Amino acid sequence: MKRYFGSGTLRTTGLGIGRASLAALAAIVVGATLAYAAQTQIFDPQTRKWVDYDKKKARQFHAAHKQVPEAFRRQVVDFRTAEKPGTIIIDGNQHFLYLVQPGLKAIRYGIGVGREGFGWAGIVRVGRTAEWPTWTPPAEMVARDPNAAKFANGMPGGPDNPLGARALYLYQGDQDTIYRIHGTPEPWTIGLDVSSGCIRMNNDDIVDLHSRIEIGAKVIVLMQGASLYKGV
Amino acid sequence: MILAHASLLPKLGLSVFFLSAIATAGAAADLKIGMPNWPSGQASANIIKYGIEKQFGLSVDVEEMGTLIIFAGLDSGKVDVHPEVWQPNFDSLIKKYVDDRKTVQLSPKEVSAEQGLCATKETADKYGVKDVSDLLDPVKTKVFDTDGDGKGEMWIGADTWSSTAIERIRAKSYGYDQTMTLLSMPEDVAMAAVDAAAATGEPIVFYCYSPHHVFRLHDIVHLTEPAHDDAKWKIVLPSDDTEWLSKSEAPVAWPASHFEIGFSSSMAERLPKVASFLSNIDFTPEEIIEMSYILQVERQDPASFAKAWIAAHGDRLSAWSK
Repeated sequence: MKRYFGSGTLRTTGLGIGRASLAALAAIVVGATLAYAAQTQIFDPQTRKWVDYDKKKARQFHAAHKQVPEAFRRQVVDFRTAEKPGTIIIDGNQHFLYLVQPGLKAIRYGIGVGREGFGWAGIVRVGRTAEWPTWTPPAEMVARDPNAAKFANGMPGGPDNPLGARALYLYQGDQDTIYRIHGTPEPWTIGLDVSSGCIRMNNDDIVDLHSRIEIGAKVIVLMQGASLYKGV
Repeated sequence: MILAHASLLPKLGLSVFFLSAIATAGAAADLKIGMPNWPSGQASANIIKYGIEKQFGLSVDVEEMGTLIIFAGLDSGKVDVHPEVWQPNFDSLIKKYVDDRKTVQLSPKEVSAEQGLCATKETADKYGVKDVSDLLDPVKTKVFDTDGDGKGEMWIGADTWSSTAIERIRAKSYGYDQTMTLLSMPEDVAMAAVDAAAATGEPIVFYCYSPHHVFRLHDIVHLTEPAHDDAKWKIVLPSDDTEWLSKSEAPVAWPASHFEIGFSSSMAERLPKVASFLSNIDFTPEEIIEMSYILQVERQDPASFAKAWIAAHGDRLSAWSK
């Protein structure tokens, strides 16, 4: 479980949800029934209590504010690393994706990850990318979900497509790993472990990331967090 | 760093960066340095290359290769220098090539090194994890739990390193294999996790070795441990016995580690002044960390860096040449 200070800091990084907006969130979430086990908490500076941040509350927050909490918004942060600029580091535990920049900085994006995480950790690369990619549901999803069955031959790219505005296809050597970093039509899911897999980002963010990376970019998926290392 | 099968290790993303230091293929050089794939070895390989070229007017190739291949090359005469021969990590190779076959010689100048467990200073100060015994306290190790199973997670090395097996033995011997999940992964993944933890103030504990640029990059502290005791250090490696873990016991700190430059005996006969030069090189651990940091983090061109270092340390080169 990850916790985010709402008083302007995410632990030590000076980020988080603003005081007023967090109060609004706290008001919304009182008494709410959890649809999922909470994976994320944020700190309410007014009540000085940790507030669960789950799917329902995230959706309510997004409806009220038209954006995700500040911690998950795109921002430049200090990031001391030996990785070269252009490298992507995915921290599924904290729901952050870092794009390393020169000068010991990184662009940090909020991400949503699968309930089962990636199922692995390690080093891959961006093998190819696509704009408004076609989504083809896996066979088992077609079998169990009539809505998915409609798109058994592929759902054209567009605002309702689960892959969102862009997709980065992750390769190991020349092999497609079947894992992707992609956009989403459900921006409130950023910061949560609710998707069926892969790494999802807000469409604006995946468009931004897509514009900055090069084919072949190194991608490091960290071991920590939410089942990311299961199967390692 | 323990690299039992260094030639099998995946590249750590360093190869392309250092290619600029490699002499043009096809033009036979007077000497060849086998360059390992870890940062400090790459830094010192380049210093040695440009130092020899400046002092003796010889051409020197630097080629990245695994330690097993380097030693085979030193034995056959295809390679002349290994910039960092770690002990006790390469003891078996040293016995074979230095003691028995006498085809490889080691410089008497040792650089002291450390291996053990590390944490960010914030982890030690804020979460009270300062000694290896703290890893036996489930209340303390819970802060390293990122999947909710009640056990923390920690990196203990790369799959192919023999140190990783030894870290597993140490975890079993101390007992923190019951409170921590032990993870093995390439070093880049572990170091990126340290970077992310440091950037967000999250606690982290991990296997570490020094000299290494991570000590310059972040505020890192060693966990204290009971002093090494040879009588308690009973290591059986997986390559020697399938029941290695149950037959091993090591509830103490690693023995003191060190490394030195290795070179072929044939080269020492052919170029005794170069052998003398290599035997006089006296890098300090602090210099090794500094070199690694400049090349790995600041990403200076290794050739330019090595030339500048040599230009600024003329007195050292002169001393090494005597």
